[in-house]
Amino acid sequence: MTTLVQLRGVSKDFRGVMAIQDIDLDIRAGEIHAILGENGAGKSTLMKVLAGVYQPSSGEMLLDGKPTVLNSPSDALSHGIAMVFQETNLVPAMSVAQNIYLGDEKLFNRLRGLNIQAQRYLLSLNFYVDPTVQVSTLGAGKKQMVEIARAVHHHARLIIFDEPTATLTPEEKFHFFNLARRLKEEGMAIIFISHALEEALQLSDRITVMRDSKLVVTDETKNFDRERIVQAMVGRSLSGELYAGETRKARPMGEKILSVENLSMGNAVRNTSFSVFSGQVTGMFGLVGAGRTETMKIVAGVLKRDYFHGGTVRFEGKPVRYRTPRPAVRDGIVYVTEDRKIEGFFETMTIAANIQLGKLATGTNPFSMVTMNQARELARQWTSRLGVKSIDADARVIELSGGNQQKVVLSKALIQKPKLVILDEPTRGVDVGTIVEIHNFINELADSGMAVVVISSYLPEILSLSDRVLVARQGRIVEEMDISEATESRIMYAAVH
Amino acid sequence: MGKMRLSQEGVVFALALSLFVVFSLTLNNFLTGGNLIALVRSVSILGILGLGMGLVVIGRGIDLAMIATMVVSLSWVLSMAQGGTPLGTALLLGAVLALSIGLVSGILIAYADIPAIFTTLAMGLVAYGAGRAFLFQIDVQNTPAGVAWFDFLGSGMLIGIPMPIVAFGVLAAVLALVLRYTRFGRFVYAAGDNAIAARITGIPLRPLIVAQYVVTSLIAFFAGIVMAAAVSGMSTRVYNSTMIYDVLLVVVLGGISLSGGRGGVRNVLVGTLLVGVLLNGMTILDITYTTQNLIKSLILLLAITVDSFINPRDEQTSQQSQGDI
Repeated sequence: MTTLVQLRGVSKDFRGVMAIQDIDLDIRAGEIHAILGENGAGKSTLMKVLAGVYQPSSGEMLLDGKPTVLNSPSDALSHGIAMVFQETNLVPAMSVAQNIYLGDEKLFNRLRGLNIQAQRYLLSLNFYVDPTVQVSTLGAGKKQMVEIARAVHHHARLIIFDEPTATLTPEEKFHFFNLARRLKEEGMAIIFISHALEEALQLSDRITVMRDSKLVVTDETKNFDRERIVQAMVGRSLSGELYAGETRKARPMGEKILSVENLSMGNAVRNTSFSVFSGQVTGMFGLVGAGRTETMKIVAGVLKRDYFHGGTVRFEGKPVRYRTPRPAVRDGIVYVTEDRKIEGFFETMTIAANIQLGKLATGTNPFSMVTMNQARELARQWTSRLGVKSIDADARVIELSGGNQQKVVLSKALIQKPKLVILDEPTRGVDVGTIVEIHNFINELADSGMAVVVISSYLPEILSLSDRVLVARQGRIVEEMDISEATESRIMYAAVH
Repeated sequence: MGKMRLSQEGVVFALALSLFVVFSLTLNNFLTGGNLIALVRSVSILGILGLGMGLVVIGRGIDLAMIATMVVSLSWVLSMAQGGTPLGTALLLGAVLALSIGLVSGILIAYADIPAIFTTLAMGLVAYGAGRAFLFQIDVQNTPAGVAWFDFLGSGMLIGIPMPIVAFGVLAAVLALVLRYTRFGRFVYAAGDNAIAARITGIPLRPLIVAQYVVTSLIAFFAGIVMAAAVSGMSTRVYNSTMIYDVLLVVVLGGISLSGGRGGVRNVLVGTLLVGVLLNGMTILDITYTTQNLIKSLILLLAITVDSFINPRDEQTSQQSQGDI
């Protein structure tokens, strides 16, 4: 087999944060290559470098043995590399035929001619898609076919798929597998990112596992089994004293404050059931698309569950159905977002004003007097408790570091005196020193009797914080374990499928 | 940021003052008693409308139906008063009408998620059309004679200050207090700054939006009362004029950002001063109406452009350069 693409020592950083480091990878013509790894392992970045979306910060890329620089996705396409993203790049309002020939229309186009041409072409690929149909009416599987047809039409020799099977039904998955095998027989190289180990083992010729922005191993698929892949995914090189693996006892379960039964919301949350107890930290782990955030957002009233067969949520024993976050907040459920800038703080306001808004939101009388002095006083209490490093309470939130912004958002939430607080990725984009402070603070909250749910994609964080671990997969909580019996590989085993 | 906004108000204020001085020195008729009264009258009505518009713009909305609300409700009030209804009763009914227009706009914007700019544009047309069809027949309605307090509001003086200016000042003070020192005011800023975060924090976002449009409509009604008192009547010509753009000019030029959450009553005050002096000066200079509109529209375009550079409206665009891992 001939080598199509070679990466030699390729790295890419975003403002100093390494997304991929020193990657060496060969892609051969006529192979199916699976890329596996945890969230944030650098899979997507690597693929985007291959597809010309990002340019490597260092290292080089050889195409057919010649050093090549890809400046854009269209540049990559002209070199025969196409990428099919999770959200498709098709134009929904156009027909299948128009989408296939998008970008190389002539000055005048005859729709009938285009349709006939597309029909012949699709049949030559054995794709049964009507070229005159509008793309928005197609299912996920058919859309993928159109994307592939477009890539093949542009003479792609390497097609990269980002989680191709995530949105497909079992039957569509089967079609996709056949398609991938046929393309491979025609000498095309196929790379796909996946969270589904079985699929990778079933479909691919070779597997590459990534972890912490580095390439861990590339090998023939026949040399892998589940065990070895999971080991490669979680075996951490740098745990550091931050996540020292000290064995600790779980806090005793308090009152069962939240119980969720058969909760459903579209495709994101599927018939999930679990409970949360007071006085404990409940860790929630899962890979992308596991529906953790959506599940907890429904509990907190940010999202709405299905109207029929949506399941039940009981808070302190009473069935609740929140249509907005306001009643949830007033009952004592507070959600702290994973995306501070978009859902967390008010960027034009000072630290004091931000924190005060949390308190104001729990009140009702619109005409009650508020002053900035009250706000400063509240801010002083909370910032000293959380140790926000800033000159004064009148500084603007937008000027703070990520860690201090997170502390402000936390203060704004905790000033509402919640009984159940949901922390979605509480240490994302936070510096190492602050992570320790935030972890200590989370432990204090649980010790004081509050029910704390921590959603995290980082296994060591889950293990060091939780008393109980819930593992989500495909919109459902699939495994529940006490911290004493939780290990990295056991959790990861449950999270992949 | 804080310093910059302060200086923006400062710049606008300085600009207004220097324009005033230049006009006083170069134009013979500018610094006369008659003209100053005309200036004050137009400035105060523009300012009152600017306060209402400022409130919704801080909440990241816009109300293009303000002029229609003002014209229709006041024309109806005056038409009823001419027909023998006591002025008090008529005013009360007019207030209810203005309130309903704001309520419908607010509900459509908050619960049907229609962009405010289109909702209020259509609401203005509906209100005016319905008013002409059902509520009053003639174009110009005159104020009923012999209502002392109404005449006083139009042309009276309170310790040497014309009443329209007093009305403007009182409303400005009330609104400044509400925005700064009440829960409602803080919520308006929060919703304008980041509506998603406001919702998650537990602020009643939708009722808040409805309340904003109701208050703004009532402020438009109040502006109508002052206008009717000052010019002894209400004409439908006002609806067909470019007044709504003057109001927007006041707000944006004063420094209340269309991206929401920024600015306050002070910005309306300096904006009103500048636009008022500018309009009055241009009238005295005998610049034609068409040219005046051209100048105003160019300034409005410039102000909006500068605003969107200083305060980009889309939060996510500022994040795109970061990339995902």
